Amino acid sequence: MASKPQSVGQVMRNAWERLLVDPTLGVISLLLIFALIAAFALPVFFGGNNIYNLVGASITVMILSIGMTVVLISGGIDLSVGAVMALCAGVAATVIKMGAPLIVAFIAAIIVGIAAGLLNGLFITRVGLPDFIATLAMMGFASGLLYIATQGVPIIGYMTGEYYMIGGLQPLFGPVTFPILVAIVLALVVGWVLARTRLGAHFFAAGSNAVAARQSGVPVRWVKTQAYVLSGTCAAIAGIILAGRNNNVPADLGTGYEIQAISAAIIGGASLMGGRGRVLGAVLGALTLALAINIINLAGVPSSYQKIVIGVILILAVIANYLSELARGATVRRKAKRLSSIAA
Amino acid sequence: MADLSKSISTTSVALQARGVTKHYEGVTALDHASLSVEAGEIHALLGGNGAGKSTLISIISGLTKPDSGEIVLAGEVMSASGPLAAMSAGISTIYQELSLVPALSVLDNIYLGRELKRKTLGLPLASDRRRMESEVRDLAAGFGVTASELRQPVSEFGALKKRSIEIIKALAFDTKVLILDEPTSGLEDAERQVLFGHMRSMRDRGVSLIWVTHHLEELFGLADKATVFKDGRTVGTVDIASTSVGELIGLMFGAAQEEFGGGDIRKITHLEPSTGRRVVLSAKNLSRGSVVRDISLDVHEGEIVGLAGLAGAGRTEVVRLLMGLDARTAGTVELEGRRLSLRNSSAAYRAGLAMLPEDRKQLGILADLSTAQNISISSLSTVASAGFWMSRRKERALAEDYRRQLGIKTPDVDARIGNLSGGNQQKAIVARCFNTSPKLLIFDEPTQGIDVSAKVEVHALVRDYAAKGGAAILIASEIEELLELSHRVLVMKKGQVVGEITGIPAAIEEGHFARIKSEVLTLSAAGQNS
Amino acid sequence: MRSSSPIARIMSIPGIPMTVVLILTVIVFQVLNPVFIDGRTLGNYLTNGIPIILLTLGVAIVIIGGGIDLSVGTVAGLSAGTTMFALVNGAPLAVGIAVGCGTGLLFGLVNGFLVAYLGINDFIVTLATLNIAAGLLVVLSQVQPLQGVTVPGFAELTKGTVFGIPASFFIAGAIFVIAQLLLAKTIIGRRLYATGISAPASNVAGVSVPHLRLFTFAASGLLAGIAGVLLSSRLGAVQAFLGIGYEFIAIAGAVVGGITLAGGGGSVWAALVGGLFLATLQQGLRLNNVDPVYFSIVTAVAIVFGVVFERQVRRVVLQDALHRTAEFTTARDRTVHETPPVEHVDAFAAPEGSKNDGK
Repeated sequence: MASKPQSVGQVMRNAWERLLVDPTLGVISLLLIFALIAAFALPVFFGGNNIYNLVGASITVMILSIGMTVVLISGGIDLSVGAVMALCAGVAATVIKMGAPLIVAFIAAIIVGIAAGLLNGLFITRVGLPDFIATLAMMGFASGLLYIATQGVPIIGYMTGEYYMIGGLQPLFGPVTFPILVAIVLALVVGWVLARTRLGAHFFAAGSNAVAARQSGVPVRWVKTQAYVLSGTCAAIAGIILAGRNNNVPADLGTGYEIQAISAAIIGGASLMGGRGRVLGAVLGALTLALAINIINLAGVPSSYQKIVIGVILILAVIANYLSELARGATVRRKAKRLSSIAA
Repeated sequence: MADLSKSISTTSVALQARGVTKHYEGVTALDHASLSVEAGEIHALLGGNGAGKSTLISIISGLTKPDSGEIVLAGEVMSASGPLAAMSAGISTIYQELSLVPALSVLDNIYLGRELKRKTLGLPLASDRRRMESEVRDLAAGFGVTASELRQPVSEFGALKKRSIEIIKALAFDTKVLILDEPTSGLEDAERQVLFGHMRSMRDRGVSLIWVTHHLEELFGLADKATVFKDGRTVGTVDIASTSVGELIGLMFGAAQEEFGGGDIRKITHLEPSTGRRVVLSAKNLSRGSVVRDISLDVHEGEIVGLAGLAGAGRTEVVRLLMGLDARTAGTVELEGRRLSLRNSSAAYRAGLAMLPEDRKQLGILADLSTAQNISISSLSTVASAGFWMSRRKERALAEDYRRQLGIKTPDVDARIGNLSGGNQQKAIVARCFNTSPKLLIFDEPTQGIDVSAKVEVHALVRDYAAKGGAAILIASEIEELLELSHRVLVMKKGQVVGEITGIPAAIEEGHFARIKSEVLTLSAAGQNS
Repeated sequence: MRSSSPIARIMSIPGIPMTVVLILTVIVFQVLNPVFIDGRTLGNYLTNGIPIILLTLGVAIVIIGGGIDLSVGTVAGLSAGTTMFALVNGAPLAVGIAVGCGTGLLFGLVNGFLVAYLGINDFIVTLATLNIAAGLLVVLSQVQPLQGVTVPGFAELTKGTVFGIPASFFIAGAIFVIAQLLLAKTIIGRRLYATGISAPASNVAGVSVPHLRLFTFAASGLLAGIAGVLLSSRLGAVQAFLGIGYEFIAIAGAVVGGITLAGGGGSVWAALVGGLFLATLQQGLRLNNVDPVYFSIVTAVAIVFGVVFERQVRRVVLQDALHRTAEFTTARDRTVHETPPVEHVDAFAAPEGSKNDGK
């Protein structure tokens, strides 16, 4: 009973289970499948600057999804990232138009992002609003502010030579653009914080078992607030870059970005239940999303289908997440059984 | 007050609780309770369910703020609140509910909130896992946790290992006062001895241990003193060396103990033995993974079958399978000869099962509904016309009926049930079950967290139900309660039935209570080779 | 706070505070601009508000059952689109209406299935279907311009009058009466509240929680479908972005009306006045030439305010009830101690008795 030679089916099943259990393996295989489809079915995929453009297009969502992953890990959700990002883009553009140096404009935008995250965090942990209500309200508030400030007319005429560089329209060196650099640095820093620092462990603890975390002396409320501040900061950085890439800041710049950020984080293995998620997963998730959109564009499907595709991908991702939880439970049970049979 | 605390610091008192009072939702959990623990002693906290031990522990460890009273640590009144303040003052706690974070590694769990730092770029930013690991490795090995296991997430381990991790977590720090809330529940004998060894060596190092346990026989030869609580008040402190189990039980249960030895038992002994009576429920080979393994049981008309066992033995899990609340992996159940679908709870109720769940607050009451609405929720068609149209009049009348019959004390049956005392809430849940006219009723910890007089009343309701020919399954952690009420007891361990004791009322009548009790205890705690 | 006045008790009934606020709001707008409640504008503003109020009711039903539905806005938009699409392509009026309602119901059933039977987070499921519905409407509007319907009776759904009262009032009225009866008077309603208060406890008590969850989402979807039909009738043309952001107004309406976000609290009346309040606000701001974009900020603030207010009221009411029960319990304890059973009088009971005397 204990040690039966494994059949081929067994091996296959184990591999399948590992695929479901390990979120990063899951998203990598999804990415590979999409890339293979694209490579074989669509010759233009490798043509011109397609891949380069694809990566460039994924950066905004990628940065947002890094912040979103931290919020999800700590047991929350941030619906306001799109609107806050747009507001920060508007702030950066406006401050530049007022004649301030770029760096001042960026600091102003980041302050606005931090403030939005802080407000989210305080309303959730101190006032006790549900996560999604507080951030939904922030979404309405931030997008309303931008509408009022712009009167519905896109902000233009703020672009400078340096800003082209920062927006990624001109590379820094070789094929590397500034946004790519920022995304890499951000992913490394946040990944390091999650894996190596006390705060990282506290993010996981707050989302995985808040009661136990509190009993151990983890300041759960403050930890969750910090997650939202981080998400707000990421939104500000994404806003600064997107303003540079887009050449103008329309009032609805951020619409739909929150669902993309959530989708990327979930595809990357973050769980809505909290306590699970990886930065690498979010990065790959954002790339997968961009790839999927790229494929349907190349295949000649009208861009109006984009929203539908993202919605379907999100549903499939949560279903996969659900299956993964099931498989995880089965694996743990089997492991426990094996251990107890060894003991006996 | 200041003078008093100064005089205390000259003695060896490590921790004192003075006049601690705490109310929860209209229920008094602690009423001017006090406790005095000396340095280098193992001090047991005893008391029945709802006596206030858990509340006192949670106040000492900084999780709960008392309404009044104070905690004095080494002669100084603790002013800062919060768990971190308590921990840095040297108070560590092992909670009864496993309080580990599944997503984190064993090592991170042990150091959660107290991580050691390493300098990165001159700043103490990163956690120093290497140092944490080297500091805790030997201790962990003593509890059978290897160095490689330290790096695995806690979610990969079973209940036993988690308990060990919890203990390591509490022992890993420079602790002056260690609180252990039922630390041995779910532990095997050998592991228990390892724990006791550690407790002794900590005492020898001058650490004060506050130990909550229900297993009185564990105390002897280990604990120095015991403070007994009852209904939120301190009854008294005794030296273990000069006391007996009998005396402790007397202190713990007082009047209730009279009930156990008193006239009520005679009331039920006239019942005939279960053999020859009609079988109401028959479960065969019921299993759920490794939690419930191959359980078969019959319940007869007029019979109360008790399920005994330690925490984690799978008792609640069995009845949840019967009710269709969890999915089974194998087995069949027949109720009066008809196969149950076991698909969901509403099917179970329709077939004629009803359950009074454990954890009244989370799973029993619907706090925001009224008492009347709580009573009718499982049998709404009895207060509706045409099958779906609710009649407030019928519902009220029904509730008034039960209020008189069961003695539910409430100003108004339309008032929110969440504000009633635990005992009255529980009686309303009993009414809810009765009103479904069940063929079999499951009582899961029916007297958990309710006061003594309500407890006696609930006992009477359970007995009465069986005396009228009802069949019941009873789960109770308090073994006296289980034996007083059951006709037959099945002892469970690790999801299996490991023994059966029949003819309990008659045996108690003949004065064999202590023998049966030790028999049940031996079976439920027996070693691996059972 | 110890013993609350009758006024405080009345104000704690869900929907009542908002009713007062609503009346005050109407008075303020009337003073600011006397055109506000003149026979014709009144009918107009209510007719305009009905789709939003129906969406508020749908969201409220889901929230009372312990869930959330973000998809109502775009599903209403899509339903308007499919209705129009069917009618443009020559379907009779009844078929067009059925197609619109069916679209909403279908989305509700999909949401409900994923949430209730697969146990997937309702918030994410409905966020996804929000996007899918929005995308489908864009696609649909590119297939064919969704306007120019001349089917007799279609426009009259909203613009026609019966006995001088706009026709859509009768539709909305009937829906609200049915919903009120369903929630307050039937077994389903009771189970709905129980599930919202605690799904695990309701499950133990024999309520089949998944069925109810499915029911709430189906109801919300159907209401979104009906709202869509009315929208298409009133607008006469369906734009690709119709319905986006409506979910925000609907949730805000439910919350300010007095629906408890945690589930299990609220009423049809609360949803009605909450939705009506936001419709009034929108109309009032428009009449007073306030830029409509301010409405989104006002709505955001209203959500936060509504949740905080509801929580405060609840705290006061609970405390009050607690005091009354505590007094009752103390009285009972005394009577018990007057006639104690013989065994009860022991060394441990004595201090308690003396303490009671001392108080």
